[in-house]
Amino acid sequence: MSPNDVFDALILILLITCALAIARMKDLAAAVILFSVYSFALCLLWVHRGAPDVAMTEAAVGAGITAVLFFYTLARTGRREK
Amino acid sequence: MTEGLAHLDYIAVVILFAIGLYVVLTKQNLIKKIIGLNIMETAVFGLIVTSGMVDGGSPPLLGQGLEPPYASPIAHALVLTGIVVALSVTALALVLILRVKAECGSIELDELLEPDE
Amino acid sequence: MRNALALLIVIVLAGLMMAGVSQLPPPGSPDGAVHRHVAAHYIDGGTEAGGAPNLVTAVLLNYRALDTYGEVVVIFAALVAVLAVGLSGHSRGPRRQPDELPVSPVVDRIIRLLAPFIALFALFMILEGHVLPGGGFQGGVVLGALLILLSLVLGPRRIRRMLPTPALFWTRAIAPLVFALTAIAGLALAGWLFALPEPAWLRELILVGLELAIGIGAALALVGFYLSLEADHHD
Repeated sequence: MSPNDVFDALILILLITCALAIARMKDLAAAVILFSVYSFALCLLWVHRGAPDVAMTEAAVGAGITAVLFFYTLARTGRREK
Repeated sequence: MTEGLAHLDYIAVVILFAIGLYVVLTKQNLIKKIIGLNIMETAVFGLIVTSGMVDGGSPPLLGQGLEPPYASPIAHALVLTGIVVALSVTALALVLILRVKAECGSIELDELLEPDE
Repeated sequence: MRNALALLIVIVLAGLMMAGVSQLPPPGSPDGAVHRHVAAHYIDGGTEAGGAPNLVTAVLLNYRALDTYGEVVVIFAALVAVLAVGLSGHSRGPRRQPDELPVSPVVDRIIRLLAPFIALFALFMILEGHVLPGGGFQGGVVLGALLILLSLVLGPRRIRRMLPTPALFWTRAIAPLVFALTAIAGLALAGWLFALPEPAWLRELILVGLELAIGIGAALALVGFYLSLEADHHD
């Protein structure tokens, strides 16, 4: 295992953990924040895969704009999942 | 990648896709479903970018003193387009959810589907 | 019961997909199918054939410009749909005043301080997108995020007033319009849709123009999404 592989494996584990936590989370605001974390981990993975363009888009869209849009929706619909 | 672990990336991506699909199928909250849809989309992007990468490769930028081999620019362009479309879909879905909330008073699918009392 | 059924379906589907991906060539080998045909051709063609040193931009704006035209139309269509479905007809009742929104003074100062630099960075990403990583869409998203941040500090009304209404109608459609124009210009000047005409400065000018159009279109679309979601959440 080279350091690159270790980095890859850690990011993938983080991604899967985040996705599982999102699936289990009843608090939607927390789920959205976790989705931001997930997107940011993904962005690191893209840089590592030699895709800086995709990483930039993912960081701006996934970790930033999507979360903002979700939060404004949650402000109207309530943050608790039944 | 070491032999035997070679497909680890693809398998992780499949797991992410499965988690997203499970969220979309089983959660009743519409916002949760949209988050699940986003996880599925990112899993597909992961598959495409992973298939386009080269071990020890550099980003496809010419004239910056980067050495070949370069990662495949087509995969990156496809994913860029995909992220934009995913964002558009998310925004439209959220506005529709707000409309559902305003018209029906709930965003839980099982409550919406109940015969009106 | 239904959850168990869903879990079963997901597990079966995931198993099938795992069987599928294990047949793919291992990722990372430089002689995989992904790297041999079209991608190799694009990389060999270099800046001369692609028009831009950043090959992702070359693929987006030159080789596959028609796809990007589709992408731009999707954003525009989503914006139109959001504005149509949005709650514009529902915004009755007293709005909370923007300055009642509690924003920490630290956040306020930092956003005001950083705003010009974020704008500069967004413009840099758009204008240098064909040379360095970045590009029209990324820059546009950063610009849109800046406008959303500013509306957090200044209140959404100021942002609404910053966007002049009559010009907005056409500016929102700028990206599809500029793309259609470029396609027709390419057809007229060089013989096929989205052809980049020969002198190098003209190519660069067209690429920067396309990036600017994408950037402005994306920023306005994001602000449109945001404003129609924010519209009357104080009722």
